[in-house]
Amino acid sequence: MASAAAAAAAEWEAAERKVLVARKPCFGLPTACPTSLPVLLYLRLAEVPFDIHVDTSFPDADHIPYVEFGDCVAFNNERGGVIEYLKEEKIVDLNSKHPSVSPADVVSTKAMVSTWLMDALQYELWVVTDGSIAHDIYFSDLPWPIGKTLHWKKARDVKQLLGITKLNAAEKEEEIYQKARAAYGALSLILGDQIFLFDNSPTDADALFLGHALFVLSALPDASVLRGTLQIYENLVNFVEHHKVRLLGDSSSPGLGSSTSPSSSTPRKRASAGQSYKPKPRAKKERTVEEKKFRQRSKYFLAAQLVAVLVFLSLMGVDSSELDDDDGIDYED
Amino acid sequence: MAAAADPAADQNPNPKGAKPHEPNAEAEFVEEEYDEDGEEEEYEEEEEEELDGPAAAAAERERVQSVFQRLSSDPVAIRVHDVVIEGNTKTRDEVIEAEVADLLRAAPTVQDLLHAASVATSRLHRLDVFDAVKITLDAGPPELPGTTNVVIEVVEAANPLTGSAGVYSKPEARSWSLEGSLKLKNPFGYGDIWDASGAYGWDQTTEVGVGVYLPRFKSIPTPLMARASLSSQDWLKFSSYKEQLLGLSFGLLSTMKHDLSYNLTWRTLTDPSRASSMAIRRQLGHNLLSALKYTYKIDQRDSLLRPTKGYALQSTSQIGGLWDNKGLRFFRQEFDVRGAVPLGFYNAALNVGVGAGVILPLGRGFMNSSSTVPDRFFLGGQSSPVCSLSGLSSLLGFRTRGVGPTEARRLVPNESGSGSAAPPGRDYLGGDLAVSAFADLSFDLPLKLFRDAGIHGHAFVTAGNLAKLSEGEYKNFSVSQFQRTFRSSAGVGIILPTKLFRVEVNYCYILKQAEHDSGKTGIQFSFSSPM
Repeated sequence: MASAAAAAAAEWEAAERKVLVARKPCFGLPTACPTSLPVLLYLRLAEVPFDIHVDTSFPDADHIPYVEFGDCVAFNNERGGVIEYLKEEKIVDLNSKHPSVSPADVVSTKAMVSTWLMDALQYELWVVTDGSIAHDIYFSDLPWPIGKTLHWKKARDVKQLLGITKLNAAEKEEEIYQKARAAYGALSLILGDQIFLFDNSPTDADALFLGHALFVLSALPDASVLRGTLQIYENLVNFVEHHKVRLLGDSSSPGLGSSTSPSSSTPRKRASAGQSYKPKPRAKKERTVEEKKFRQRSKYFLAAQLVAVLVFLSLMGVDSSELDDDDGIDYED
Repeated sequence: MAAAADPAADQNPNPKGAKPHEPNAEAEFVEEEYDEDGEEEEYEEEEEEELDGPAAAAAERERVQSVFQRLSSDPVAIRVHDVVIEGNTKTRDEVIEAEVADLLRAAPTVQDLLHAASVATSRLHRLDVFDAVKITLDAGPPELPGTTNVVIEVVEAANPLTGSAGVYSKPEARSWSLEGSLKLKNPFGYGDIWDASGAYGWDQTTEVGVGVYLPRFKSIPTPLMARASLSSQDWLKFSSYKEQLLGLSFGLLSTMKHDLSYNLTWRTLTDPSRASSMAIRRQLGHNLLSALKYTYKIDQRDSLLRPTKGYALQSTSQIGGLWDNKGLRFFRQEFDVRGAVPLGFYNAALNVGVGAGVILPLGRGFMNSSSTVPDRFFLGGQSSPVCSLSGLSSLLGFRTRGVGPTEARRLVPNESGSGSAAPPGRDYLGGDLAVSAFADLSFDLPLKLFRDAGIHGHAFVTAGNLAKLSEGEYKNFSVSQFQRTFRSSAGVGIILPTKLFRVEVNYCYILKQAEHDSGKTGIQFSFSSPM
C-alpha cells in the first residue's frame, strides 16, 4: 500500500495542473453543489493551487466532484470520496499536520455532519423548497424535459432515502430538524471560540461543516427552518463568515482556484421570504379531512359523467347502425 | 382483357363501329364483370335474357368475340360513376378511397381502367391489412350509359395480431441483431399498423420500441411513421462509454428516393468502468438531440448481394439543434457513391466506392466547441463495403472503431510498485471529417460446384482516414497531411451466401496504419444479413 500511495503522490507532484470538476457556481459561491463545496474548501484549506472546470450536463452523476491530476483521477464514488482518497494516498492530509488532534473526535464529528446535517440539507433542498434552488444549481443548463425528469427522480430518491411517505411526513420532518438542532448544538460546543473546530488547526471536518453551513446560509431562503436553526448559534455563523472571506474572498479575486469554465458565475440572490419555501407537511395535515371529502365527491361526479357519456354513445351507436345503408352512395367531402 | 358487350350489338351488325354510350331504345341490360386477382384474368358475361342452351352459348361466344375485337382495336371510352367498397367492417371507407379512388376515376378508357384496377389492387395489398382484394367492374346505372361502377371487395386480415422473429442486419448497425416483433394490424380502421419490437444485437446493443405506421394522415399523401424506443449501446471496449437513448422518431416523408424524419432523443452517456480518458469524461452526461434527417438515395445496381452493374448514391444530411440552444447543435453530412462495372470473364465485376462525411458544431463560438462523440464518424469493422450503402464506416482489416484520433485512458497508480503500471489503453474518439474508399473485384471461382452455390471470391483494397476539426483543430488541418496519413488495407477472400447469413472469409493485409490503430493482418470472418 505504501508503494501505491507513493505512486499516486508522485503522480500528484508530477502533474502540471490539478483540475477540480464540480457543479456550477451560484449564490455567490464558487460551486453551489453541497457535495462539491467541501472538496473545494478542503483544497483551499490545504492551499493547493487548482483550476475549476464546471460540469453542466450530468447533475445525477455519482462521480462528481472529481479531481484530475496528470492522467489520474480521484472520483467522488471511489475510495470514500475525494477527500478520503487524498488523505489515504498521503497526497493532501490536513489532519496529519496537527497530530495533537484526536482522530476519534474528528471522525465522530465528520459522521455527524455527513449524516444528520447532510440529510437535513437534502430534505430542505429537494423536498421542502419549490425546486427553484435545485433547478438553478443542477438543471438550468439542461433542456427542460430532461431537467424536469431528473429533478422529479432526485426528489423521489431523496424521499426514499430519508424514508418519507405521505403518512409519516410530518413525523419525519420533526425528526430531521431535531437531529439538525442537536448537531448544531454539539458543533457549537466543540467550536467554542476557536478558529477551527479542533485546536485551531484545520481538519477535513472543518471543510465538511464549512461546506454545509455556507450552503445553508447562502442558498437557502430566509424562511428556511434549517437556516433559522443555524443562525441561533452565533459562533457558528461567525466561523462561517470568517472563513468565507478568507477562503473565498471576492468572486473576482485571482489566486487559488480560478474558474476556467466558459459559463459565467452568476451570484444569484437568495429568494426572499416565503417565495421558494413552502412548509408542505404542516399544510397537508390541515387539508386532509376537507380534501378527502372533496376528492370523493369529485370522483363520484366524474364517474357519473363517464357513465352518461358511455350510455349516450351506445344509444347513438345503435341508432346509427340502423340508419346505415349500404347502397354504395359515397358522400365525398 | 375484358369484354364490353354492346347493348346495340344485336341491332348493329358492325360491332366495331358501335359506341357503348349511344342511347338505345331497346335497353338490354347487360352486365359485364371483370375479375382480377393478381395477374390472372377471367372473363364472365351474364345476360338477363334467357336463350336456349346451345343458342345461348353461341350467342355468348359471338359477343365475347366482338368485345375482344373492339377492345383490341380502339380505346373504348368509359366513365367511372361510382366506387363502391364492400367487405370492410373495421377499415374506414375514406382510407380505401384515398388510396385508389382518384386513380380509378381518372381512367378515361376501359383499357386504362383495367390497368388502374391492377395498380389499385397492388396498392391495397401493400397496406398490409387485407387478406384479399378483389376489384370488379359493374355496369353503371341504366339511365347513364357508358358508365361503370367499380366495386372493391376486401377481406380484412383474419388475425390482426402477428408476431415475427429473425436475424436482421440494419444498414446503420455494425453487425447483425436478433429481433422479435409483434404487429397489430388496423385496430382503429385507418389502415394503421402498430408494432412492438425488441432487438438484441451482437455488439451488445439492445432496443425495445413501439411504433405506429399510418398510410395516410388527413391530406398528407405519404405514409407517416412514429416510433418511441429505448435502447442502449455498449462502447466500453472501444471508447469507454455506454450510451442510453430514449427517443421519439417521426418519419415525415418516405418514398423510394427521399426520406425525411425527425428525431427527438434523450441521450445519456455514462462510464461505469470509470476508466475513460479526459475527452470522453468531459462528454459524459445528458443531451437532448432534436434533429431533422434527410436522406436521398438512388440505387441502380442490379443486385444488393453481388452488384455487377449499375451505380448507387446516398446523401444523408442531419441538422440538430431544433429545440433551443441547450440541445445539441450540429450539422452532419454524409455522401456515398458506388459504381459497379462488369468485366467479361468469370462473371467478374469491379465495384468501386467513395464515401465522405463531415460534422460541424453550430451555434455561437462553434469554431472552438466540440462535437459529441456518438455523432462523430468512426472507421473500422468487418462489414463488407460492397453491399450496404452506408459503407463509410467499413475498413476491412481494422477492428470496429479502430482508426483515428485516440486519447490515453485514466491511469490508476500501480499497487505492486514494481516499475511502471501496465499501459491503460486508449479511447477511440472518432473524427469530424472522414473519407473512405474501396475497390473490390469479385469473380466466380473455377469450380462449378461453387458457382452453383453462389460462392464467389473477391480481391479488395480499402482506404480511409479520420481527422478532428472541432475545438479549434481545423487550424492545424492540412489536406496533404490528411492524404499522407491515409490508412489502407488489401486482401482476398471468399463469400458464401447461405440461407441464414452471408459469410465472408477474408485474408486482410494492412498496408498502412498509424501508431495507435488496431489493424491486424490475418484471416477475418464477417457475417451479414442474407437479404
